Amino acid sequence: MLQRIGVITALVLGLALAASPGQVGNHVLDILNPSTSYNREVGYLLRWVLAFAAVVFVVVTGLMTYVTLKFRRTGRETGEPVQFHGNDRIEVLSIIIPTLIVFIIFGLTAQSMFKLDRIPPGAMTVEVKGWRYWWDYHYPEQGIRNSSELIVPVGKPLVLEVTGGDVIHSYRITSLVGTQDAIPGFTTRIIVTPEKVGDYYGQCVELCGASHANMRFRVKVVPQETFDRFVQEAKAYQAPPPSDPTLAKGESLFKANCAGCHALKGVSPVNPATLQNPDLTFFGNRTTLGSGMWPNTPQYLEAWIKDAPGLKPGIRMPAFPQLSSADVKAIADYLLSHKLEGLDFNFPESQRY
Amino acid sequence: MAVTAPNQPTRPGFGAFLWDLFTTSDHKKVGMIYLVTSFVVFGVAGLMAVLIRWQLHAPEQTFLVGDTYNRILTLHGASMLFYFIIPAGLSGFGNFILPLMLGERDVALPRINAFAAWLFVFSMLIIYASLFFGGAPDVGWTFYYPFSKVQGPGTDFFMVGVLLVGLSSLLGSANFAATVYNLRTKGMGLWKMPIFVWSIFATSMLSLFALAGITAASLTVFLSRKLDLTLFNSGIGGDPVLYQQFFWFYSHPAVYIMLLPYLGIAAEIASTFARKPVFGYRFMVFALVGIAVVGFLVWAHHMFTVGESLLFQLVFVFFTALVAVPTGVKIFSLLGTLWGGQLDFKTPLLFVMGFMFNFLLGGITGVMLAVVPFDYQVQDSYFVVAHFHNVLMAGSGFLAFAGLYYWWPKITGRMYPERWGKIHFWLFLVGYLVTFMPQYVLGFLGMPRRYYTYPDGLYLWNQLNFASTVGAFILALGGIAWLIAMIQSFRQNVKAPDNPWGGHTLEWATSSPPPSYNFAVNFPTVFKSERPLYDWEKEGLKPTPINPATIHLPAPTVWPFMTAVGLFITGIGLALPWTSGGFINGWLVVGILTFIYSLFRWALRPEYDVPVHHHTVTGKSNAWVGMAWFIVSEIALFGILIAGYLYLRLTGHAVPPEERPALWLALLNTFFLVSSSFTVHYAHHDLRTGKLSAFRLGLLISIVLGAIFFLFQIYEFTTFLHHVDYTQQLWANAFLLIVGLHGAHVVIGGTGLSLAYAQGLAGKITPHEQGTLEGSSMYWHLVDAVWLFIVCIFYIW
Repeated sequence: MLQRIGVITALVLGLALAASPGQVGNHVLDILNPSTSYNREVGYLLRWVLAFAAVVFVVVTGLMTYVTLKFRRTGRETGEPVQFHGNDRIEVLSIIIPTLIVFIIFGLTAQSMFKLDRIPPGAMTVEVKGWRYWWDYHYPEQGIRNSSELIVPVGKPLVLEVTGGDVIHSYRITSLVGTQDAIPGFTTRIIVTPEKVGDYYGQCVELCGASHANMRFRVKVVPQETFDRFVQEAKAYQAPPPSDPTLAKGESLFKANCAGCHALKGVSPVNPATLQNPDLTFFGNRTTLGSGMWPNTPQYLEAWIKDAPGLKPGIRMPAFPQLSSADVKAIADYLLSHKLEGLDFNFPESQRY
Repeated sequence: MAVTAPNQPTRPGFGAFLWDLFTTSDHKKVGMIYLVTSFVVFGVAGLMAVLIRWQLHAPEQTFLVGDTYNRILTLHGASMLFYFIIPAGLSGFGNFILPLMLGERDVALPRINAFAAWLFVFSMLIIYASLFFGGAPDVGWTFYYPFSKVQGPGTDFFMVGVLLVGLSSLLGSANFAATVYNLRTKGMGLWKMPIFVWSIFATSMLSLFALAGITAASLTVFLSRKLDLTLFNSGIGGDPVLYQQFFWFYSHPAVYIMLLPYLGIAAEIASTFARKPVFGYRFMVFALVGIAVVGFLVWAHHMFTVGESLLFQLVFVFFTALVAVPTGVKIFSLLGTLWGGQLDFKTPLLFVMGFMFNFLLGGITGVMLAVVPFDYQVQDSYFVVAHFHNVLMAGSGFLAFAGLYYWWPKITGRMYPERWGKIHFWLFLVGYLVTFMPQYVLGFLGMPRRYYTYPDGLYLWNQLNFASTVGAFILALGGIAWLIAMIQSFRQNVKAPDNPWGGHTLEWATSSPPPSYNFAVNFPTVFKSERPLYDWEKEGLKPTPINPATIHLPAPTVWPFMTAVGLFITGIGLALPWTSGGFINGWLVVGILTFIYSLFRWALRPEYDVPVHHHTVTGKSNAWVGMAWFIVSEIALFGILIAGYLYLRLTGHAVPPEERPALWLALLNTFFLVSSSFTVHYAHHDLRTGKLSAFRLGLLISIVLGAIFFLFQIYEFTTFLHHVDYTQQLWANAFLLIVGLHGAHVVIGGTGLSLAYAQGLAGKITPHEQGTLEGSSMYWHLVDAVWLFIVCIFYIW
């Protein structure tokens, strides 16, 4: 028990010291953001439901208020109140009216569900896989893989095939579309056509472990030309040979310490082991680090490499206390040097949803 | 215990007080065990909520991080649901008040009742014991597979605790059902029972049918952790979503188990404080039953996002929205009850008004959640958190406090200070709204539940979370006001009259607190409505006093308590690793021995010291009716697991291996088991006709046949496991799970028969006192019937 307390205290203190505030926030999350037909449909449904709700709310609270004011005991009453046991007409109405409302709401819901379940022609499929505590993306039609940040073209219908790698997660792009669970061995489907370019904040919404709250991601909705360029460059990408001694040192440290778990095209191949951890090819294009947590800058990246589990409890990646600061810096520089040319997925604050 | 004239007992010592508690089967004291436990748990789990809110008051806090936070949230949820909101109304007020309202001396099965209460307390202690054995569970109260399979040892304690609290709840519910069915004062028909009694009756039936779901869920998760035995492993074709079907098959009806008793309380309070009868009594009863029935058809609305077909989802959308109708009827009936009354706004009525307002909000947001496209967006968000706190905390929870204040004078014999009660109410109402209204907005702004941290700068998150935390502290102040109200009540010691509020149900027709025998009167047998005291007053009817010395109550015995202690120790042993260094762990050995020994001692202790003639409404014995209700839940348990198996089999995932367990052995075993059913039947017949030695022989043969069956099954399992690796074979998992569970039932049934046999040897069984045999022989027939079914679907098909 004491040991436990010690571990927890160390963890808490460690986090307090290490986590300089500065996780990436600054998004305006809004499930009713009219950026997709999905959200507009929900807005339309809610208008109906809330209209009925308002009527019911006003009627019931009105009656409650009236009853409270009118029938409050004054102490001046003589005798008992009228002892009536019910009123058939009111009782039947109190069943029929709510039933009618329920039927209307059911009809509207059913209609929307069928509508939203249709896959528009020309849709692009992306496979989404949740792991503790990050998300992996495969583009089967383009043959590329990217982790933590999903890059998709604006205006193109998407089918996201969601599954889980270890336990059940749940995939939500808050301002874009509804959630589906990521269940090991099964596939669920999200259909959406993003209509607005921007940086969308995403999160895991099924309790999956210590860092459930830290299992964030970003969806970058970019113009079609940008996307095409991304696909073209990503497919062709091979890690270039190190151009200076620091990078060469970084590469050898990467091979010694990181390559067992992380794939990096041209240096560390994709295999069953590396498939279970984030792919670090063109890592320099990531805007965030640690699965949507921190800005992807050398400062944060070095802190991360040194002590990832201290920053994000419960993750598989170990701390590397044995690496010197220079070593860590070399690895960070090396990782950040892997970049697709001419592509920048940072968005101004006004475009973060 | 023959009761002498009521006298003021001298203040007993603490030891004597405890001994009385451990040996009692008085429904009022049993009710107190539940009430005290559940309200203490409310306080503790409430403080956990304050800790949670403290962590979330600002972004990137480090007060509770990761698993620590998950542990607190799991304990908060599990404690509030399993140990406050379910037991406070159903078991607490149900036990204390229901027999009084029925004008009876006790419940149908008082000793089973005491056992269930202690099992309830111990199951909670098992869950909390995990703190000393490697940390509390951190899987959320929903313990989803496979997450619950991979987390730390606290989950084992959690699973054992849930299994035992389920057993306790089943016994309690069967007891209530039998009580309402069998024990009503002469002349009280079903349609003249107070609404509260109806609500307990409906809730008991609901839990008897539904509890199997959580038993199946927690059992399968537990076995997957201990033996790798599972139906859910997607690696071998299992389905993790099947776990959720099991879980929610209970846990949604459980929402109504958490609500119905409180709706009954609300109706009683509204009627009393308006000085009017309830509005639309029959509609209220139909609404209760309607909620109970429709409540079974809505479970999958917790899992709209698991990717089921549209049609499947639509069915559940429909019933989810539909369940709003009977709940709406309850609200309108409450309004109708208040309409035209002379409303006395004492604390209980204030809590009822607070409930109506909050439940209205919760109902509206509930219907919103049935709108699936919207549900997809707010699944597991703070919108959902606000919704279920709206119905459970400010709904049922408020009514738990309404009931507490309403019956406080009856239970304690003291009035409470009205001023502090009202302060409590207003702090709770304001605190509630300040805490949870921002959470609805947070749901629209995308904040997921069960998050221990969030980044700075997300639009309005900081402000709304801060407001919510402020609300939590207001709620905590309300909790303090509540404590003051109770402490003041004891300090001021204002003696409560028999009927302080002018209520018209029978609990008000006895002293406050009631004597151990409840009533020393014979009530009139004319019941015109659900308010007998009102009707009798109008017609000038009066109860006729009887001499308390002629009343006999069940004799106190410590063995039900000790049996529960045995299960407590066994439970700890089950949760810990089963063997260490080649030895079975000591907890298991001591626990099982204590359990068996106490159980036999209990069976050999007659319920009454003097022969008592039991009058029951149906003419059937209480043991018979209680077991009949209990069996409903057993059928449901096998039904659920077999449904899961059929699903896996029919979808082609669970394919039998080449070498299956031999049919001839199963048929031989069928022969043994069916014969034993006959021998039990004849033994029972011999007992009734007074042929005691024939009875004993028949029973012994049945037990031996059961033992042979069981030994053959062990042989069969051993050979089967020899050539099939079940961790790689889904069908084998289903086979071992369901057939093994049946084997466990053979052991339980055999133990029951052995108890009756021991009673026979000791001469403690007579044609009139044969509850153990009646119960266990009925159970044995069930075991037999289930076996026939199992032979068909596992050996022949």
